[in-house]
Amino acid sequence: MNLLKPANTATRQLVYELLSGGTGLVLALFMWGHMVFVGSILTGSRGFDWLAEMLEVYFIAQPTVIVIFVLFLVHAALAARKIPAQLVERRKMIELGKGLKGAHEESILWIWQVRTGMIVLVLGSFHLVLMAIDVLTPLWGERIGIEAVTSLERVQAGLWLPYAILLICVEFHASIGLYRLAVKWGAFAKLGRSTLHTIERVILWLFLGLGFVILLVLAGVIPPPLAFLLGGNA
Amino acid sequence: MSETGRRLTFEVFRYNPQDPDSKPHMQTFEIEEVPYMSLFMALNEIRETLDPSLQFDFACRSAICGSCGMMVNGQPALGCRTQTSDLPDVVRLHPLPVFKLVGDLSVDTGIWFREMAEKSEAWIHAEKAFDPQAQEDRMDDDLAQKIYDSDRCIECGCCVASCGVANVNAEFAGPAGLNRIARFAMDPRDTRDDDEWFEVISNENGVFGCIGMMACHDVCPKELPLLEVYAYLRRKALSTAL
Repeated sequence: MNLLKPANTATRQLVYELLSGGTGLVLALFMWGHMVFVGSILTGSRGFDWLAEMLEVYFIAQPTVIVIFVLFLVHAALAARKIPAQLVERRKMIELGKGLKGAHEESILWIWQVRTGMIVLVLGSFHLVLMAIDVLTPLWGERIGIEAVTSLERVQAGLWLPYAILLICVEFHASIGLYRLAVKWGAFAKLGRSTLHTIERVILWLFLGLGFVILLVLAGVIPPPLAFLLGGNA
Repeated sequence: MSETGRRLTFEVFRYNPQDPDSKPHMQTFEIEEVPYMSLFMALNEIRETLDPSLQFDFACRSAICGSCGMMVNGQPALGCRTQTSDLPDVVRLHPLPVFKLVGDLSVDTGIWFREMAEKSEAWIHAEKAFDPQAQEDRMDDDLAQKIYDSDRCIECGCCVASCGVANVNAEFAGPAGLNRIARFAMDPRDTRDDDEWFEVISNENGVFGCIGMMACHDVCPKELPLLEVYAYLRRKALSTAL
């Protein structure tokens, strides 16, 4: 058969596709769990510190930060193979996406997925390195790992801005990525594409909303709204 | 009922690659809108009354021949199926990208589709000699319907023009190409085995070249279930590898 490409690239391409989609899926699911963990700050510093300590004492946080960093880099490397290398090609795609905007939005959303992916790569790497230092250095000495007072200080010292940008980019990138992954492989096909898109939107706004409330608490703008759960002592 | 009384402005891409003096530019035409006016009618009106040199393609006027695909305000569409009442007062027309430009709005989709069909060998590969007297092999109704759905493609090129990958990678099978591949991969009369199909499908120029922009599905004038077709190809590649 006169093939579109010589043999043996097929298996490699399948593996790349599975790895880029699979790592994306795991990272998106992790982000939901991560949001719940960080969300413990809504109960106040005590709840946050207790959870952080548990995750570190039982050695959950340390391997997690390493595994997530590896998945993060693998995902970035493999997903980036789909981005056109030439500027002129990227411009062509952007023009096409803008033209199609009236009829459909997924093309322009793909372009925004790439842009947010780039931002997540930079800001997410910074955050992951910071977290790796926090949870790994106590292994070699009497240091304290993740704790609320440090997080509050960091956010209030100015990290609220990169974290706000990271939050928007991560949630957008992950929700549209999950939607695209489902459509690509025909998962939940019975629901129909428009329902999947609606679910994606709901998830996006839900986590964005939750994320911003968490960030406002960390920035000291509002008190922990769920502090009453732990007896009101934030 | 079409809106009437509007004066429509058409900004049309003009360029004749055969003429060395021709430079790509936009030319503006104005015409009166009439009830039930299609783009086909509007362009004929322009050619008859304003500029006889304007090049564009039409044949059937009923979305069957697939020759009148063009970019209408940035979106690929069939001229015969597009009503001016659905368009704003100013309409920008470009030829479909990706395909060889014949002139103005006319493109040669045939070259692209022939090359795609040859590359993917888009025909039934049968080992048995055809016996006109023998009863046909039975086929499941659902499968026959799926094959028929893929066969409804009129090769207008709208999906290819809307595809980000096809616009930057000439080797990519493209939406219509993947649809053709799926059509024959599904067909039990085709004797190519799964391993042979795997090499065609699971490829950076096959289904894994697709980045999931989904425009092809949304602009297809025949409303082919292209996204289902790609999902089928992805799963077929995975099941073959497993």
